[in-house]
Formats: sequence, C-alpha cells, structure tokens
Amino acid sequence: MTILPLVENEVLKLLKRRRFRVVLLILIALIGIIVFGQSRIRERDRSVDWRVHTQERVARMQSWLRSGRGPTTGLRWTRFEVARLQYHLDRNMDPDAMSGPLFVRAFANVSSHLLFPLLALIFASDIVSSEFAQGSIKLLLTRPVSRTRVLASKLVALVLAVTLTVLLGGLVAYGFGSLAYGLKGWGAPILTGFRAGGDTLDVSTVRAVTLWQDVVVVYGLAWFSALAVGMLGFLTSVLLRSTAAAMGTMFAALIAGSILPFVAATWETQKYLFVTNLPLPDYYSGAPPPIPGITVGFSVVVLAAWAAAALVVAFAVFARRDVLA
Amino acid sequence: MSAEVVLSAENLTKSFGRRTAVADVSFEVYAGEVFGFLGPNGAGKTTTIRMLVGLARPDRGRIRIRGFDLSRDFTRAMAHVGSIVESPDLYDYLTGRENLEHFARMLTDAPSPGLRSAGGAGAAGRIPELAKLVSLEERLEDRVATYSLGMRQRLGIAQALLGAPDLLILDEPANGLDPAGIREIRRLVRLLSTERGIAVFVSSHLLAEVEQMCDRVAIIHRGRTLAVGPVRQLLVERQASSLEEVFLEVTGGETV
Repeated sequence: MTILPLVENEVLKLLKRRRFRVVLLILIALIGIIVFGQSRIRERDRSVDWRVHTQERVARMQSWLRSGRGPTTGLRWTRFEVARLQYHLDRNMDPDAMSGPLFVRAFANVSSHLLFPLLALIFASDIVSSEFAQGSIKLLLTRPVSRTRVLASKLVALVLAVTLTVLLGGLVAYGFGSLAYGLKGWGAPILTGFRAGGDTLDVSTVRAVTLWQDVVVVYGLAWFSALAVGMLGFLTSVLLRSTAAAMGTMFAALIAGSILPFVAATWETQKYLFVTNLPLPDYYSGAPPPIPGITVGFSVVVLAAWAAAALVVAFAVFARRDVLA
Repeated sequence: MSAEVVLSAENLTKSFGRRTAVADVSFEVYAGEVFGFLGPNGAGKTTTIRMLVGLARPDRGRIRIRGFDLSRDFTRAMAHVGSIVESPDLYDYLTGRENLEHFARMLTDAPSPGLRSAGGAGAAGRIPELAKLVSLEERLEDRVATYSLGMRQRLGIAQALLGAPDLLILDEPANGLDPAGIREIRRLVRLLSTERGIAVFVSSHLLAEVEQMCDRVAIIHRGRTLAVGPVRQLLVERQASSLEEVFLEVTGGETV
C-alpha cells in the first residue's frame, strides 16, 4: 500500500491552480527589487576604501554605545555588530563584500524572517481548506481511503512545495545576484560560528568555511523554519476550513512575532514562541538572536516541537471531525 | 424480498446540540433495487446520507455496507459505494477527464471486488466507458468550470461508478435540473439498477419525481422514518393513489 497516487493527486492540484507560478513571480519581483536597490547603494559606497568605511561605521556605533541612549534591543544589536565588524577588520576581510554566491546566502538570511514563512503559508493555508470551499472534501473523504492517508498525502505535497519554494528562491537569487555581482565566489572563505552570549558576541568559536558549505547550512535552516511555519499553517487550514481565515491568522501571528522582540525585549518566555525562532539562519550567520540565550540548536528544538504538536492536533481533528456544511 | 442486503442502517441517531436531526432511523437496501429516501427539506435526509458515507458519525446506531461495519471497516465498506452528497462538487479547475483520473487514482489500492471482476484495467481503464454512459465524451477535455449543472451531475455519477460499486447514493439528484436533465438522470438510474444490478439510494423531496423510478421507499419526517416499504404496497395499504397522499396521511396532513 502506497500513498504515492494520492500525493500525485495533491501535487497535480497545486500545479493546476498555478500556486507555483504565483510564488515564482513573487520571488522574481522581490529579488529583482532587492538587487536593484542594493546595487544603487553600493554604487555610492564604492568610491571609499572598505577598511576606512568599516572603521568609520565601527567608530560611529561605538560613540553611540558610549552615550548609552536608545532602546535596549538597539544597543544590544549594535554591540554585536561592532564585534562582528571588528572581527572582520582584524582578519582583513571586507564584511560587506558581495558576489553572486554571497547574495544567495544573504537572501536566505533575510527571507527566513518573513518571506519564506509567507510563501510556505500560500501553500499550507489552502491545501486542506480549499477542499472545503470547493465542496470536493465530500468526495475526497467518501473514497475507500482512510482520512489519515488523505491528510498524509497533503502533508507530503506541502513538504515538497515548501522545499521547491526555498530551492527556487536560491536559484532566482543566484540568477539576479550573479547578474549584479558576478557568478563566482562559491569557494571563498566565510566566517561562521558566531555565538551570541547574553550581552556580547562570542567570537571564540568562529571559524572559516568555504561559502558553499555555509550556503548549504543556511538554506537547510531556512527550509526548516519555513517548514515549521508550513505545519502550523496546515493545522490552521484544518481547524478553520477557510483559506482566508487560515492565512489571516498565520500572517497576524508572524507579524506580531516579528515585532515582539522590539516592544517586549525583556520578556524572556517569548523565546518559546515559534515566531521568535524563525530567523535561525540569520543568527546562525552572526546576527544577534532576537532574545539572548537563543541558539541554533535551541531554535531547531523549539520549532520541531511546535511543528510536531501542530501535526498531532491536525491529524487527530481531521480524522474525527464531522464534515457538515 | 429474498434479495441480498447491500446497505443496512440500524437505529441511526444524530443530534446537533439540543436539536435531534435524525432519530432512530432504520432501513435496508437490497441489491439491484432503486430505494427512495423521501421527505421534506430539513427532514434529516442529508444528515442521514452524511452518516451513510462516513462524513458524519452517528451518535448511536450502526451502518453496514455489504456486511462491513462502516465505523470499524471504513475502507472496505466504502469500496462498495459511490456517492454524490448534496451537489456534485468536483474540481472546477480540472477537466472532466482529470477529475475522473484523480478519483481513479484514489482507488489504486482499494479493496474493491467489483473492480477486480470488472477486468484488469482498473478504475482509470473504465473512464472511456463511463464517459460514454453519461454522455460526456465530447466534453471530457473541458474544464468542469464550463459545465452545466446537468453535466456536473452526470460527471459526478461517472465518478461514483469508477470503483464498480454495488451501491450508488444520490442526494437530491433532480435538484436544479431542467426536465430533460431529470429525465436523463432517471434513465441512468433505471439502467444502472436493471442492467448492472447496482442498488441505487436516491433522496428527494419531490415525491412525484421519485415515485416513478423507485422500487421501495422510506418516508422520513422530522428525523424519523414514518413508513418503509415497496411503493405499490404502501399505496395499497393506505388506499392512496400517489406517494404524496401516503405522505400526507403519515405526517398527519402537513404539506411537503
């Protein structure tokens, strides 16, 4: 017994409704704009030597830190940034160097906050509820196939869709990135392993790896966090049976979660919320985590727990609930 | 009736909050017959049908299809059933053929004795034959969004027949159809029961409509079955000239 024919059905339905085309268009439009905007800024900065430029930035941030005025989160973030820049300066590496491959990595870091989760939700929030909206759920669940299998096939299709989305994102980023900054640079050394202590950036564990190795890890993490959001969207889709309601709920949660660290920086319990842990590729690459004490391992565990709980509830509810309306 | 029982419902009861939608409904459907499930709108017909096809769980009672208990042996029971609940809601954005292929794929692993005896081609292999049966060959490559209600109804029947079922459940199949569409459905139902030996369970609130095509009927009102039996026997017993009169008599004069 295999669920492959059922998965084939689900993938077919995703394709026929042009979901992938929408996602691809969003990626192309967005990455195009980012690359264009960035290349304009870099145009301006190129006249200055990067060492001088970076030293100026460090000096500016340090004087701001000395004044001690400003929001706690901002100050903390600045301390991290100073440490990171200083570390690069000490090793004579341009922290803002750009190449096609570096842009691919930067794109995943930025996208893990909101873009990949939102794209995952485009698939997740509709994969179950659209069957209710269309009424086809009545046919789907009156075939000699258990409800668990039906839902499992949808889950597999969702995992495939999210995986493809993250890969497409990387490809489109490489396309635009190499146009603007050149194709080469996959073998360049990159610093990784920054660890956030409570208040400072721990550079003792930093090491250099080749860029492509780092890109693999960063995309793996971005994929993982997008998938976790996908599972929660899947659950809301099962519970609410309406695509609009499921999407609205999840978007609200994501946006609230991305604001939370700034408005309630000292509330430590938020590190157990799933939204707080989504940008894990970003702080893997040296950005300060939203809340002190969050590590990549911690986030992976928290996200996995949320995803697993969402799936347990989704399957339990889907298998039991009456289909009326 | 010595014929084989295909579907048996025993003491089905279902409440929503305080409202009892279906109370103690029992009946049997025999192989090859057309069984009418009649009653006004809101009598509990659709709720009963949702329980028969496993969409809703009865609070009490038992459903058996070809001897398989629906709640314990769902897949084996459903392998014998094809159904249209409320309206034929297939996928608008797929063509007729893609819809049939979609639901044929769901039968890949189905423990369907009917399919096995129908030949080795499997459910997908039956698509041309079924399209011909429901007169949709010409429009099979068009998207369902462009179909009329009558065509959707027929595509729904083709879908329901993919697994070579012993029992076809149609919920208000005449609803919203023009006279020609109703005639077509009636022809199909008769053909399926007499030539293929498929038991057809048809619900309707249009008594006259169903009277001509049913062998036996159950009359349901306010969630209870008031009469079950062969059409002719009910007419004779109640000295009535039509099912409508029988209905008026058993419900105590309330109009349909």
